[in-house]
Amino acid sequence: MDKGNPRELWEYILTQVELSISPANFNTWFTNSFIVKIADDGVVYIGVPSQFFKDWYLKKFHTLLLKIVRDVSYEFRNIEYLIVKDERRKPAKEARPAARGALELPLNDYYINKSDNLNPRYTFDTFVVGSFNSLAYSAAQVAIERPGITYNPLFIYGDTGRGKTHLVQAIGNQYKKQYPGRKVFYLTSEKFVVDYTDSVQGGTANRFKDKYRQYDLLIMDDVQFLSKKDKTQEELFHLFNTLHDTNKQIVFSSDRAPVAIPDIAERLKGRFASGMAVDISEPDPESRMVIVRKKAASHGVMLSDDVVEYISTTLSGSIRELEGMVNNIVCHAQVKGQAPDLLEVRQSLRSFTRPQKNISVKNVVDRVAEFYGISEDSIYEKTRRREVVRPRQVIMYLLREDFRISYPSIGAKLGGRDHTTVIHSCEKIKGELVVDSTLAKELQSIRSLLV
Amino acid sequence: MNISIEKKEFSEAVHKVARFSEKRAGTLPALSTILILAGDDGIKMRATNLETGIDLRVDGKVFSHGAVALPATTLQQIAGSLAGEGDLSLEHAGDLVTLTSGGGKSTIKTVPYDDFPLIPLPESATNTFTIAGTLIKGLFSSVAACASASTVRPELASICLQVEGGMLTVVATDSFRLAEKKAPLNKKGLQGTLLIPAKNALDIAQVLPDDEIEVAFDEHQCAFSTPTSVVVSRLTNASYPDYRQIIPRDHAVEAVVLKKDLETALRRTTVFSDTFQKVSLSIDPKKNTISLFAKNTDVGEAVERLSAKIHGDALTLSFNHRFLSAAFNLTSSESIVLQAVRIGRPLIVRGVGDNSMLYLISPMNQ
Repeated sequence: MDKGNPRELWEYILTQVELSISPANFNTWFTNSFIVKIADDGVVYIGVPSQFFKDWYLKKFHTLLLKIVRDVSYEFRNIEYLIVKDERRKPAKEARPAARGALELPLNDYYINKSDNLNPRYTFDTFVVGSFNSLAYSAAQVAIERPGITYNPLFIYGDTGRGKTHLVQAIGNQYKKQYPGRKVFYLTSEKFVVDYTDSVQGGTANRFKDKYRQYDLLIMDDVQFLSKKDKTQEELFHLFNTLHDTNKQIVFSSDRAPVAIPDIAERLKGRFASGMAVDISEPDPESRMVIVRKKAASHGVMLSDDVVEYISTTLSGSIRELEGMVNNIVCHAQVKGQAPDLLEVRQSLRSFTRPQKNISVKNVVDRVAEFYGISEDSIYEKTRRREVVRPRQVIMYLLREDFRISYPSIGAKLGGRDHTTVIHSCEKIKGELVVDSTLAKELQSIRSLLV
Repeated sequence: MNISIEKKEFSEAVHKVARFSEKRAGTLPALSTILILAGDDGIKMRATNLETGIDLRVDGKVFSHGAVALPATTLQQIAGSLAGEGDLSLEHAGDLVTLTSGGGKSTIKTVPYDDFPLIPLPESATNTFTIAGTLIKGLFSSVAACASASTVRPELASICLQVEGGMLTVVATDSFRLAEKKAPLNKKGLQGTLLIPAKNALDIAQVLPDDEIEVAFDEHQCAFSTPTSVVVSRLTNASYPDYRQIIPRDHAVEAVVLKKDLETALRRTTVFSDTFQKVSLSIDPKKNTISLFAKNTDVGEAVERLSAKIHGDALTLSFNHRFLSAAFNLTSSESIVLQAVRIGRPLIVRGVGDNSMLYLISPMNQ
């Protein structure tokens, strides 16, 4: 048994418990529980359905369970009981009730907590941490651990679709969990502007001020939209000072660094940058693979390795686009009832690949040669100079992946090379793409030249 | 233990408490019992099925203290057969309880009560409000029927109680229709949302008295207490959709119609509804009529026309008739208002002069 694996540990505990209590007791108290997690400090968290269970576990089964886990390993220091969310428990398999024909109310789109505006879907559990966002992630963790003191404000910036909103909402959700009773509020800067203008129109500016000053954690998304809104900026400036002086944590997100936001008051820029400004950069290929895998798994579809690799390396674009592609594949998989293979994925993702003109091989060669600053003739020659070999491999890779030209004809068009050479080149570039982010960037720039 | 309880008091108490005992087989025997406790503070009956639980004080005389768990179904059958005035005495000896009333005497085998669970109360005492029992019973029993019967989405199988700004709003939806009812509270300033499993809410509504009730809640539990009883329920631990956003803000046509007329017309039309239980509702502003139409190729068809006051454009929508008829139980108003936006958007039903109620029905494909 792997004692670090919650499921296996729970299975083991169940077999032991079953021996020492009556079947009725066992069925009543143990069928709906499971181990939520095993913390690093040796505390085992058991998830139970309700307060009834929690009280009873503490009263009746605590010593028994503790003895069983101690027998497995002395690393387990204690057991704690959590009442778990209903949706985390095993869903009962059930057919849909027969309300056939009726349209469903679009409730699914509105799972947002009214009092704090946070979407409970955005949590750290679903947040993929990679080298591209690890700094932002750890800054967020620190801000939650010591809110209002260490990094205040926390300013997170990065291009669209990098997970800023996910991160700042996860901060809010985590904060809420960690400090029940404290008030969190999430809003976009646009909402702030509307709220402010409304309050001025309605003559309730004071209430507006009070409303925002009561929060212990204020999260403002997309502050770049405040540019040119002078009055609102002034209001934010005062709000900022009040919250900051009383050590209330503030989190901002924006698509560019504080200094680079145009048309925003200098004093506000200075304040944005006064705490911690971290950027989320372009996700590296490994992280993209993790994201694709996680996203697909959340839909219950397991993708094979080459499919994941294909999606995450071949298609550029933001995480949001990546999610769109995965959704597309998942939809196809659900229709067909099985995980798609590479060929099907290529088919179904055609719409996502960049618009393709019928581009001639010569055109590609010209552009790539131009990009690398070498003469296009050298591509066709039999030379093996380093500065020529790489561009030549890139060309082969592009012709194959983006334009679907057959291996033999690529070989023939690039100076009569054997098709195995072409295959080798494509594989090589594909392999290097995963580890070499500069190459990925180069390819992206070249692709944009070709469109 | 030796106690004596008036027969009527005993049978009422047993019927109330037995509702909360576990009815499924194969669970802990203690869960399908009623625990009777006799102590200095009187006689108490308890039952729980681990979803809900009740602790009810019963009037009676205590001659000696003790506790005993008896099978709920047996007690229910005895309580159902009791007739006439007089007291019933319960005497516990060994693993038997002897019930004596008048000339009759029965002995029941007890169940070991060591396994009888604790009934947990909410931990924080600050989240409380009081409300009249009649009011909350009405809210629960009318709204809970609209919650989802399937437990796939636990939040939709629950009713949502929102306490905000001195108002209690109770909502239930199964994603095909939605019912919302409001009631004023005398305590302002309290805020909170609790999701009570609809099944539990119905049970609770059955046993609450009409008097003032104190409702307390925390993250996981809620309790309804009166001086003589406490009923607890677990809360659904999930977030409720922000349903207010799907309520259409404006409407293209509005019809006011007598509730009784519509109800009887619908009942007659329903006979001819098809396997989809489809009934079409047409609003005709020119003739100031509403007509209901149903057609079943195997049975026949029917049209019912009734007069109404209509503003707006003509519109025809189809509904599942069960969802339409559910609206009538929600309001006591004599007339109801139907508001529709357009084809494919939900229909709003309100009571005339009754702002506390709102019912939303999603239409069927035409």
